[in-house]
Amino acid sequence: MSAFANLLVGGIFHAAVLFLVAAGLQLVFGVQKIVNLACGSFYALGAYFGITLANLALGAGLPAWTLLPVLIVAGLAMGLVGPPIERLLRTVYDRDESFQLLLTFALVLMFQDVLRFIWGPNPQSLGNVLLVYGKVAAGDLSVPVYNLLVIAAAIAAAALIGLFLRRTNYGRLLRATAENRTMAEALGVDVRSIYAVVFTLGTLLGTIGGALVVPTAAASLDMAIDFVIEAFAVVVIGGLGSMSGALVGALLVGLISALSLVLYPEFEILAIYLIVIGVLLLKPSGLFGKPAT
Amino acid sequence: MTSLIETRGVSKHFGPFCALENVSIAIGSGEIVAVVGPNGAGKTTLVNVLTGLLTPTSGQVFFKGHDIAGVGPVALAKRGMARTFQLVQIFPGLTVAETIAVAVVSQQGRQWRLLSQLSGNADVDARVREVAAIFGLERRLQTAASMLSQGEKKLLDVASAFALAPEMILLDEPTSGVSTAEKHGLMKTLLDAAEAADVKAIILVEHDMDLVATYAQRIVALSEGKVLADLPPGPFFADPTIIETVVGKRRSR
Amino acid sequence: MRARTLLPVMAAVALLALVPVLAPPFYANLLVPFFGYGIALLGFNLLFGYAGLLSFGHAMFLGLGAYGAAVIAGVLGIKHFEVVLAGVALGALLVALPIGLLCVRYTGIFFGMLTLAFGMLAHSILFKFYHLTGGDSGMRVPRMRILGLEFADYNKIELLAGPFYYYCLALLLLAGLLMWRIVHSPFGLHLRAQRDNAQKAGYLGVTVGRFRLTAFVISAVYGAVGGAILGFRVGLADPELVHWTHSGHLVFMTVLGGFGSFLGPIAGALTLTLLQDQLQSLTQYWRFVLGAILAAMVIFFPRGLAGMAGDLAGRLRPAKREAPA
Repeated sequence: MSAFANLLVGGIFHAAVLFLVAAGLQLVFGVQKIVNLACGSFYALGAYFGITLANLALGAGLPAWTLLPVLIVAGLAMGLVGPPIERLLRTVYDRDESFQLLLTFALVLMFQDVLRFIWGPNPQSLGNVLLVYGKVAAGDLSVPVYNLLVIAAAIAAAALIGLFLRRTNYGRLLRATAENRTMAEALGVDVRSIYAVVFTLGTLLGTIGGALVVPTAAASLDMAIDFVIEAFAVVVIGGLGSMSGALVGALLVGLISALSLVLYPEFEILAIYLIVIGVLLLKPSGLFGKPAT
Repeated sequence: MTSLIETRGVSKHFGPFCALENVSIAIGSGEIVAVVGPNGAGKTTLVNVLTGLLTPTSGQVFFKGHDIAGVGPVALAKRGMARTFQLVQIFPGLTVAETIAVAVVSQQGRQWRLLSQLSGNADVDARVREVAAIFGLERRLQTAASMLSQGEKKLLDVASAFALAPEMILLDEPTSGVSTAEKHGLMKTLLDAAEAADVKAIILVEHDMDLVATYAQRIVALSEGKVLADLPPGPFFADPTIIETVVGKRRSR
Repeated sequence: MRARTLLPVMAAVALLALVPVLAPPFYANLLVPFFGYGIALLGFNLLFGYAGLLSFGHAMFLGLGAYGAAVIAGVLGIKHFEVVLAGVALGALLVALPIGLLCVRYTGIFFGMLTLAFGMLAHSILFKFYHLTGGDSGMRVPRMRILGLEFADYNKIELLAGPFYYYCLALLLLAGLLMWRIVHSPFGLHLRAQRDNAQKAGYLGVTVGRFRLTAFVISAVYGAVGGAILGFRVGLADPELVHWTHSGHLVFMTVLGGFGSFLGPIAGALTLTLLQDQLQSLTQYWRFVLGAILAAMVIFFPRGLAGMAGDLAGRLRPAKREAPA
């Protein structure tokens, strides 16, 4: 029973991080119609820099409980790569979607070596610093508080994003541009600046997600490439462009991952991908998405 | 006269909205029929039913005696009906000759020949030239379709439809976007081409009443999903209520 | 084929034929994978350039070829390359039919994602069923007879740089000839029509779905043949052959060479094979350079090397212009 509960929490934690990155993907796809293959690279960037900053901070004598804020700052800082990359992508906005995919793929390749250049080929980790937040115990169940904090953060992010998109004027502008770019332009919306903002937001969600995950997992060069696969599974299952889809998709993938790790370790990615294929075939627009062309 | 295409009591509902109600029309060989009506009257829906894109909610649609409800464009082409669209459709990566050849290949049943070479195939070539000549495009055969003028693109669009050697062709607002001065010229070309291509019946969806009056032998007017009138031009234009509904209130001609 | 393209092509073929004679075996050995990729890309470009479908999972068919070679020659012991080729071609056909049926219903991003999903499914199957497939370490592809000949007194390098090199060159030429005919056939025309405007194509009688499926299957078979060559050359079938980044490399080669032309992807394969080799010896950050090149191609030269060559040729031949009617 407790093993199962621990598993569940682990799965939800995984889902929380997945959600953050997937939300970023959805935002960018929803408004700009770009599928960003480099989202995994942003994730990795956040992770590596998170470790660096955390080590720096703790080495400089900051108290251990500042870990979470430091990681968030690290994620925010790496979000700075967003605007220049958006600038680059601007050159292919009006072209066929294949070109956009290719350009983001080129970014993946370039990022791989940038990460290798700055941080070297070996995985890096933070050790057990997260234990500074202690663990919550309930019977046999033992969960690091850190994990719960991250889950809470993801839920807060989901709520904030939802509120932002639905209740604020800027959010409405975003949704309008997502629905119909030409119309939005005709109504005087500065689509260029919206694209820049949206892409940066998407990047931020990715880098923060990566930064938050490092206390529990090592940062490695592979993570950029492997993560894309999972993030895509989430986005496809949930439906391209849908935030609720990202939430549900992330939960599904996170829980399946956790479950299969225990039941059939070999089948983890297999299971995820079978579900992706199943969803794409039965309801190609995903659980919450709009019908595909 | 056995009809070439007919609808029997066709109704089409989209949820609670009724787009067509009990439409029964029959078009026979040798006829040029115009379908007119204000926007929202159901013209597009009727056209989509006639061309096998939509399945009627009730009623039937027959082409040459076969039920064609919802058969789709490819089956339609096989059965001998062609259709053009209001917005010009071209293949940006193909030349004029290749565009026409697409239809010729379908019509001659050659599409699954993976290994035979297309260029230099006498049968296909001859037919492509023939169709191009009817539309005055014979000197533009090697030009990329994307390089043509708007008018030439329209001609190509229709030419490729004609190349299917259809028995019936449905032209959806063929002169839209064409200047008033050129409209008649275009219509004449289309009708002459139809005759030269042995097309047996033409359905014309048009807003321009002048063209309708000049070229249609019969006019079917739709209003709010129902057939308002199905008359030759003479009686049609003589009836003020019809004119008012179809064209809106205007001074008498 | 027009004279002005035929001449450079024949010159290139002649040059390639001379490499084992004029250069050290290292170079011939380097070019053997190019032949494999060239064949695979001929197929890939049928799908991408001519049918308009961008697959991010195409590498799975190369993997099928390599693993097929390992199974037929290694596990089953039939050490004849021709049998391997026939076997993997059949295997590709059988696998591509159901996958294609499912995928070609979609275009654009969805097609890309579905194919990526299937590709990664294949990858994880290869990895996880390590009892059968050797997992991480892959499966050995033993040396085998080509055209029934053993070439016993040649060691592996000599075999690859000699008889096998010419064998693959011949295969590439054959494959190219076949693809040329396919592309210039009525089938090819309909394929291009549905790529440009699927709706209009339907109205002109083009059975879009069936044509896409056919293109998919043909491209799979070509991919498998290419993969078998790669497997033989390396002596190993490796799950990384099937990873989505490898599919990405196929796309890279195609875009580099120019997907709008017939020879473009082959030029891309050659360029990337040589480039990657050079880069890898110059810097460990060759991925960055390749990424930058890809980015530059996508932004500035979307029509690839073939497009650039065409532009250059056009500028050197200003007299030949279409007279307006």
